[in-house]
Amino acid sequence: MLEMRGIKKAYGTVQANRGIDLDVAAGQIVGLLGENGSGKSTLMKLLFGVVSADAGTIRFKDKPLSGHGPAQAMAAGLGMIHQHFTLVEAMSVTENVMLGAPGSSPWLSPRETASRIRQESATYGLDIDPDAMIGDLPHGRRQRVEIVKAILRGADLLILDEPTSNLSPPEVEGLLGIMARLRDQGRAIVFISHKLDEVIAICSEVVVLRDGAVAGTCRVEGATRAGLARMMVGRDMPPPIAREATAAGRNVLHVGQMALTERGVERLAPISFSLRAGEILAIAGIDGNGQTELAECLAGLRLPTAGGIDLDGHDITLASVGERTELGMAYIPVDRATMSLVTGMSVSDNLALRDFDKPPLSRGGYLARSYFAERAREMSQRFAIKASGPDIAARTLSGGNQQKIVLAREIGRHPAVMIAHQPVWGLDPGATHFVIEQILALRAAGGAIIYISSSLEEVMTLGDRIAVMQGGRLSIPIDRDTVDLTQIGLMMAGDDSLIHGAAA
Amino acid sequence: MTILSNIDTVNNEPPPRKVTFMKAASVLRRLLAGTATRATLAVALALLVTAVLILISGKNPLLAYAALLKGAFGSIDRIAFGFNKSTPYILAGLGVALCFRANVINIGAEGQIAVGGIGATAVALSGLALPGLLLMPLALLAGVVCGAAWSGLAAFVSLKRGVHEVLCTLLLNFVGVLLVSEMLHGKLGEPGAGFPQSPLLPRAIWLPKLVAGTDLHIGIVLAVIATVACHILFWRTTFGFRLRIMGASRDAARYVGISSIRQTMRVMLTAGGLAGLAGGVEVLGVHYRLIEGFSAGFGFNAVGVALLASLNPLAVLPAGLFIGFLEAGALAMQREVGVPSSLVFVIQGLTMVFVLCALGLRGERSKV
Repeated sequence: MLEMRGIKKAYGTVQANRGIDLDVAAGQIVGLLGENGSGKSTLMKLLFGVVSADAGTIRFKDKPLSGHGPAQAMAAGLGMIHQHFTLVEAMSVTENVMLGAPGSSPWLSPRETASRIRQESATYGLDIDPDAMIGDLPHGRRQRVEIVKAILRGADLLILDEPTSNLSPPEVEGLLGIMARLRDQGRAIVFISHKLDEVIAICSEVVVLRDGAVAGTCRVEGATRAGLARMMVGRDMPPPIAREATAAGRNVLHVGQMALTERGVERLAPISFSLRAGEILAIAGIDGNGQTELAECLAGLRLPTAGGIDLDGHDITLASVGERTELGMAYIPVDRATMSLVTGMSVSDNLALRDFDKPPLSRGGYLARSYFAERAREMSQRFAIKASGPDIAARTLSGGNQQKIVLAREIGRHPAVMIAHQPVWGLDPGATHFVIEQILALRAAGGAIIYISSSLEEVMTLGDRIAVMQGGRLSIPIDRDTVDLTQIGLMMAGDDSLIHGAAA
Repeated sequence: MTILSNIDTVNNEPPPRKVTFMKAASVLRRLLAGTATRATLAVALALLVTAVLILISGKNPLLAYAALLKGAFGSIDRIAFGFNKSTPYILAGLGVALCFRANVINIGAEGQIAVGGIGATAVALSGLALPGLLLMPLALLAGVVCGAAWSGLAAFVSLKRGVHEVLCTLLLNFVGVLLVSEMLHGKLGEPGAGFPQSPLLPRAIWLPKLVAGTDLHIGIVLAVIATVACHILFWRTTFGFRLRIMGASRDAARYVGISSIRQTMRVMLTAGGLAGLAGGVEVLGVHYRLIEGFSAGFGFNAVGVALLASLNPLAVLPAGLFIGFLEAGALAMQREVGVPSSLVFVIQGLTMVFVLCALGLRGERSKV
């Protein structure tokens, strides 16, 4: 049904897809596996016409598909269910299905649409009430509305982009059942996932992407989870970059049974770990498994609902951000554009975000501007920030130079503990190298670092100990020397038994 | 170190077309650089468009504008009138500018001015046995406190119950204005006046005149001082720094541990205090009594002045003077040329539209 041949796509200097082939037959579910940034999303965006390919051909239902946009893709019979739904909460199911539906008639036919929704709902066991308001439906139901929307628009091939990432286990069961029925009716499905169990349970064939290329294709019958995980992660890890062996320092951070529950949802299951001076604890995991919550609890942006945090003998569980900063806590959040930088403010202002209210930057509430500039000059030199002056807005700088401002501010004050969440995300290789160097320098100087990333390679390069975060739980950290990549890959992909086993 | 190079993709291809358009836009942008230039240009455009409207109504726009100028600057008395008219706009506009900068949309200046006027009047008429030189600042202070209380109430409701601050401040305007009427029909009213007004305030606490023999009171001096103070507050203090961070990004404020609740409260109290001062100045400097509806339209003009100044505290002064003198000249224009004075509102409105367009043309908000 679908033939993609030699698909290539580059964004700037980053080669997102480097010659990918993908075949999907009618009545088949193909799993598309890969880490973040391995090229899965790009490939599907190309197929759906959201972006256009640099090279390669697509044939769908024996017709070539090129230079198309999403509208033509839908008309041709492709349907895409995004991770984030495109539904209007204040409208009913029927209204949402009618919204933007193809057809030349200006008149809506709600009754007919509703009856078609009922019909498809019965066929595929979707259990959808056409009159229900989207806002009243749980996440899993909304997804089914997206599916029925795609079916009613005549989708023969459905692309499901990480459809299970926000579903509860019973909802996942239900979704897999629906997928099986769609397959049995002769539709094809591309199932994008990180979760090996689900892929093995439902797919007939698996395509593994790594670094923008097909790392392997295999029938599911012969595949093992370990084999798939190794394929996904890459068998040969590059040699770790030069790092001095440091003697284990004293414990500086201790987290005991810290948990977070928000609006009745458990975001963090009780988490315990210790961190020594001069040590990097690297936390691997697929995005959205509680990493942000963990980092923000440690940094004081959220307050844990149970357990405690101890920094160098001080109980900081309920301490304010300012108090933590004072005690030597630093935090590099994942979001540069709106959180760690105020892009409309100048370089010198951004460097002063943490301590503008303390001498020498201000006295008695009055800012000492000359110190702002002096600090900016000093930091720009030390951290090689390329800016034409201390007064220019941070937004005019490149991503790498913006991150250097954050690094200068957070590392420049020699923190005892630093939390770095995806600090090289979106940076070019040069800036990436610089950031890694600085983090290792902090380690050498006796700083304790928590490095959170979804890239296994970063985690393996940097971590003295490595832990995996999955579903709001943290595994027991393992020494880098005894770490088993396959095991890490399996844990990231949601193998509960291993995380439970490790935590026991 | 190539191992870390497989970075998530970022789409940063520039569109190849539109090169000539961008070149033209950049030339235009350079011409429009500088807030002052842009504001002047906007005013000129507004006058031009209004001239067309005057032409359509069969009058000579040049004569009309000449009358407007003469009405605004024609004599010492006219100039004094213009300054007095501008004073409350500047004071309240400063507060609005600070709030908007912090991304707190306070449109409640009108109610805050009204309640400030009540406070000042109440103290002035309290019969406290104090010399005028002491009672007058006390009355102004009461205006500040009452204005701040009014904005604080709006902020409290907004923060505590999650009601949008636009709604809180807007609705409290009506309450504040009606509170003035309520007071004038009750405790603060002049018995037997037949008009909703308070008794005349004792002469000793009227605001002193800046130029003897004119109506020009010292309010404009207060406005200038307030402008400089707000400029320093915003650009040179930790309070202003927090407001700038919070206004630019609530996430960034959270990240550095700035409590947006506390900052919202503070900036609202500041703005309410300034508006309350404006109310007190109106009562003690212009009317010498509290009268019904004395604050009508002031809140809207304060927002206009703040926007016209592109939320830059220092620019609020010229923006307030512009609006004040425009209104001062309007009546003369109507009297002499027969152009309805409401056309002045058209000029005001168009100026604001053009200023905001000029800001938009630059593709970004002014520096934070």
